[in-house]
Amino acid sequence: MDGTALTRRAVRAGLMGGVGILYVALVGMIQAFSGTSLIGDVATLARLLILLPPFIAGYVVVRPRVQGGESMTVAPARALTVGAVSGLIAGGLTAVGIALVEILPEDTVRNIFVAVTTQLIKIIAFDRSTVQGVAILIVLAAASGALGGFLGAIQTRIRRPIAVGIIVVLLLGMLQDVFRVALIQLGVPTAWLYSARFGGLTYLGGVVVFAVGAAATIVWADRLRQARAQDEEEPAPDSRGVGQRPTQMLIAVGIFVVLALLPVLLGTFLSSVLGRVGLFLLMGLGLNIVVGYAGLLDLGYVAFFAVGAYTTGVLTAAPNSGSSIHVGLGFFEAAPIVILIAVITGVIIGGPVLRLRGDYLAIVTLGFGEIARVLVTSDWLKPFLGGAQGLIGIPAPSIFGFSFRDPQPFYYLALAFCAVAGFISWRLATSRVGRAWTAMREDEQVAEAMGVSTVKYKLLAFACGAGIGSLSGALFAVQIGSLAPSSFSILISIQALAIIILGGMGSIPGVIVGGLVLIGLPGFLSEFQEFQLLIYGAVLVTIMLLRPQGLVPNVRRMRELREDEEAQDQWAKDLDADTARAFSAESLGGPPA
Amino acid sequence: MAGAAREAIPRRAVGRLSGLPTRRIIQWVLGVAVVGGAALGASKTLALNTFSASAWRDLVVFGIAQGAIYALIALGYSMVYGVLRMINFAHGEVFMAGAFSSYFVARTLDHSGFLDDNPIISLLILLLVAMAGSVGVAVLLERVAYRRLRSATRLVPLITAIGASLFLQNTARGFFGAQTRGYPTPQILGGSWTIFGVPILRAQVIVIVVALVSVVGLSLFVARTRTGKSMRAVAEDKEIASLMGIDVDRVIVTTFVIGGMLAGVAAILFAIVFQVVGPFMGFIPGIKAFTAAVLGGIGSIAGAALGGLLLGLLESVGPSLFLTGFHIPGPNQLRDVIAFAILVLVLIFRPGGILGAGDAEKV
Amino acid sequence: MRKSRWLTMVALVGVLTLVAAACSKDNGGGGGSTGSSGTSGSAINCDTVQFGCVVYGPGEPIRVGTLLAISGDVATLGTDSVHGVELAIDHLDGKFDATPGQLLGHDVTLQQEDDLCSKEGGQSGATKLAADPTIAFVIGTSCSSAALGVADTILSDKGTILISPSNTAAGLTAPSQHQPFYLRTAQNDAIQAKVVSDFVFTKLGFTKAATIHDESPYAAGLTGGFKTFFEGLGGTVTDEEAITSTDTDFKPLLTSIAQTHPQLIYLPDFNPACALIAIQAQDIPDLKGVALMGSDGCGASTFFDQAGSAGDGFYLSGPIASPGSTTSSLSDEYNAAYKDQFGSPTADFNTNAFDAFNVVAEAIKKVAIQGSDGSLSIPRVALKDAVFQTVDFPGLSGTLTCISTGDCQAPGAVNIGVYQAPDAPVNPATPDAKPIFNEQLTLAEALGQ
Repeated sequence: MDGTALTRRAVRAGLMGGVGILYVALVGMIQAFSGTSLIGDVATLARLLILLPPFIAGYVVVRPRVQGGESMTVAPARALTVGAVSGLIAGGLTAVGIALVEILPEDTVRNIFVAVTTQLIKIIAFDRSTVQGVAILIVLAAASGALGGFLGAIQTRIRRPIAVGIIVVLLLGMLQDVFRVALIQLGVPTAWLYSARFGGLTYLGGVVVFAVGAAATIVWADRLRQARAQDEEEPAPDSRGVGQRPTQMLIAVGIFVVLALLPVLLGTFLSSVLGRVGLFLLMGLGLNIVVGYAGLLDLGYVAFFAVGAYTTGVLTAAPNSGSSIHVGLGFFEAAPIVILIAVITGVIIGGPVLRLRGDYLAIVTLGFGEIARVLVTSDWLKPFLGGAQGLIGIPAPSIFGFSFRDPQPFYYLALAFCAVAGFISWRLATSRVGRAWTAMREDEQVAEAMGVSTVKYKLLAFACGAGIGSLSGALFAVQIGSLAPSSFSILISIQALAIIILGGMGSIPGVIVGGLVLIGLPGFLSEFQEFQLLIYGAVLVTIMLLRPQGLVPNVRRMRELREDEEAQDQWAKDLDADTARAFSAESLGGPPA
Repeated sequence: MAGAAREAIPRRAVGRLSGLPTRRIIQWVLGVAVVGGAALGASKTLALNTFSASAWRDLVVFGIAQGAIYALIALGYSMVYGVLRMINFAHGEVFMAGAFSSYFVARTLDHSGFLDDNPIISLLILLLVAMAGSVGVAVLLERVAYRRLRSATRLVPLITAIGASLFLQNTARGFFGAQTRGYPTPQILGGSWTIFGVPILRAQVIVIVVALVSVVGLSLFVARTRTGKSMRAVAEDKEIASLMGIDVDRVIVTTFVIGGMLAGVAAILFAIVFQVVGPFMGFIPGIKAFTAAVLGGIGSIAGAALGGLLLGLLESVGPSLFLTGFHIPGPNQLRDVIAFAILVLVLIFRPGGILGAGDAEKV
Repeated sequence: MRKSRWLTMVALVGVLTLVAAACSKDNGGGGGSTGSSGTSGSAINCDTVQFGCVVYGPGEPIRVGTLLAISGDVATLGTDSVHGVELAIDHLDGKFDATPGQLLGHDVTLQQEDDLCSKEGGQSGATKLAADPTIAFVIGTSCSSAALGVADTILSDKGTILISPSNTAAGLTAPSQHQPFYLRTAQNDAIQAKVVSDFVFTKLGFTKAATIHDESPYAAGLTGGFKTFFEGLGGTVTDEEAITSTDTDFKPLLTSIAQTHPQLIYLPDFNPACALIAIQAQDIPDLKGVALMGSDGCGASTFFDQAGSAGDGFYLSGPIASPGSTTSSLSDEYNAAYKDQFGSPTADFNTNAFDAFNVVAEAIKKVAIQGSDGSLSIPRVALKDAVFQTVDFPGLSGTLTCISTGDCQAPGAVNIGVYQAPDAPVNPATPDAKPIFNEQLTLAEALGQ
């Protein structure tokens, strides 16, 4: 690769890395994470965060890229130096920032950026004097950049085990609260793995975990290679052949056994997090039908969540719940009514506005979400919905006397609901309805011309989404046992949207991955709670820029997103509206119902 | 695809006769119910006679002033939508950035006493700083997030914008703290002037005048200047515009710059009226302005102004006028319900917004 | 093929249900932790007593949970309470020296969870703390909504004490809803609402008032209580309005309230709404001479920063910390230490948090069983009983006595004062301001029992 071009890239990446360090410092993350030790008392989450941007900078610079039709790579030795340069610049920029804080009159910077405290400077300076600390910072940043460059340049075969090892160590370090408690509950001694004094992994634990992670990756890669080689030798005549079925069944059964055993293995708290993941999964599955399948951007999905939660609350709550209505149904008796009411609401909301497209629909649904929040809070409906004080005394669902309130039983309830909802949406996707949705999503005008009644199918999508979303709300009501209107803000809609965007619109496995990452991880990592929304925002932008099809994309959707939509739009625009109309009326013998 | 909603009407009207009546009937029933309910509520309220004439007059003035701020923010949405066909959901945060950047300057000026000694110069300085802050964020957004998405499907940039909005809000929260802060304003803005016998708060007079000047100025800019003409050309068709020798990238950046400038102006007006800044201050006004833009017809300058005004009036007068008569407790709590209900109603009958059906005025 | 898939599905769901049933059975019986080391020779057997004991080995720190709002808009409330708790740990050795002291020879560490000021935050934080058998007790929540029917229930079900420094909602300690392991050192809002209505009706002599709440349970509780008491005295509430806490334009709202001709508007909300209403009320011609009044939610330094001179005349009610003579020197030391370690307090409840920790720590000293090897066992139920038996505890917020419904308050009464801005102690310019009205009431008196 051309030397000057590479240097220029290294400098640019280094500067970006420096901006990255300054950003995490100013936004308050470093201070927030300084108390969390990952390994021993040296590797804290804050320090990791400081060294991450130079690492990424070094990694990005040396990644192979296509230039003039040729793939350009950088030799590992050269990558080391280039990465180090990037890291050096990143560290240098941070040093300039610290110098500014120190040189300017006292509190000038602090008066603008609240996170800039003497404590922050101390953390960035690795608890040394500022001059010494800055020197250490620059050296470590360079080293981190060099490591990033090196890892970026070596072969995948070597890189993957190292990367997996590091990630596993970091994950176990970050999930210390969770794993420590879970291990204690399982009766496994934890002293060798987790340090009692610092909370994070011990040095021994870190080494062992890294070794296990790396080794497992090597073994797995080996087996995969062998399997692939076998496949090439005697390709299976039909991938859906007879031999495959039992294996698929086995895998499915295996997954279900693991899912069923999870709460027993993981303990109460983890189960409650999983229960919450289940809630959002359900919501994601419902919204996925509306947005992913039918292509209708609904920004007010929280409305259905609220309808579900409050209907359940009113129908099942004990007397004196805050609502003057006392019905006293059981959860499972109320559930069908809840779904029915939600579907009716969906149709009422959807009916008049589904003719609107894209952006307009988004704003109108946003409005409906806001209306739902205002109404459940309002003094007007306070006699029925409890107003600002909310509802209390919502009983736990129970079958034959088994209550589902505690986190572990609740997990099973949520799992069962998710399984049913997942199954339904999977069947829908592969059915006639699903194909109609796809056609409509890909090109509404063409779909209509082909005889798809778009209004009908849009309403259907809206109704399905409403039903599933309301179930999620119903579960929410019984999980918490009481309701407050502040739980139904627009952020719920955005969370649900972020889940399906991250996973991949229209993809059920995607929804699961999205839910686990966006709801599960912050639940396990309480440090991130404060920055959850910041991270959601970053995730939405990053995914849309780098991987709009999501992490686990739906195949058809992926193709669609790859296509150059501009051309299609142009074509649709050019197509004479009259011709289209004539075509639809004549060739199909009248308007489709 | 702005034309999508527009095309829908004639197509349905001619080609889908049998599908038509039920939907039309539902629409009309809904429309009549809402309008009838509003009329009934209004007549009942007026019959109660609890509100004095001067109170109604004040409500109207407050509504217009609030609407003027919405209109200024809505112009930014409309400009970007007109040219790029995308909703810049993060525009509320562009507005917030302007308010915050000028806040730090205002605080310094206030401490040194310059703010009250030279109020006019101070306000001009603050205005410039706010515009610079807003323009900076707007251009950064365009460069980092939106530019690469120009050929993507329509959902993609919208979702990106939602993400950017969340990201910017919470970045501001991390940088400057979650608390709202008092925005120092020069003393001379306190009190009111009497215009045509009606006492109007000075700050509100300034807001209304500035908004009017901005709307007229922007209309002239788009209609008369060379840049304005290239903007209209790009709005019409990016490819052909570039074939005609127009630098599309530059035109789009200019659009964001103008939108940012207007947001900066709105930020200063917001600051002198409400005297607070905070990291989440842009979100609600942003959504409201977005609603106003859609209400008036997104993509049209006059539409944004009209939508803003209408929304401001509805929020101010609506709850008292329509709900007091029904003896609904806490009517002002429900003002957003009224605003959104009217939005839905307008869109049902005019899917392009009040002034959006015609193509003539698109930026 | 389709049929078989269906069958598989149904079978799996069936299996799941069975597993669920089995598991809930397994977990239903137990609860809390049990331990047996080092308890020989005492009256309590940790293996048999309900909820068991919290057990710490020699040298192991006592773990205390906090479930406070430490992020988001309300972070100022929660972190302030955390600081109070940290100072209490600092003071375990009898001095504020920025180094933690020890309780019965053990360090004390905090496990900090966030109540997010919401139901779901209270649920997940409480579940996490309840699942950890090494948590001795929990200080929290910051927000009443996170506790009511959520954290109070979850922790009480596991026999873990939840003691709140800042929950003021009346419902939490109402006999019908009180959870056995829930206590608070914050004052009950029923008392404040009563004092406010007494002040408005008796002291100011007003008979017509309007209220504005901000959709928070706190404000809605206070305005609701005010209405009940004020009307009980013979006053009329002319208008009850609500705002959204993110609103900024209150002029239309104030205009319509003015049409009902109140003499005073009671708005126990938070800032910036309080400050904005104070500013904008000046611009409403029909509100000339109408008094404005808020409560401790409004009473923060931000009010004076934002409202400026427009806030002058605004009435602010709030509890008056009335430490006994024995604690007044401690109080000075405490204030100095707080300022030194954390800067200016951002909320009013840090002394309540300090007291909350100390009340439970005292009880631990009474009931803990110390093993000869340095281990420590704290029986959960005995601890709860000991805390509820607290009498005349010399706290910073007052002399505290805990009653059976969980209110730990001064035995005579809670002292609520009314200040008139700008002369309020929360105003940094007037730290020594005196109240223009104050009233001491017990909960029973407030409720007229």
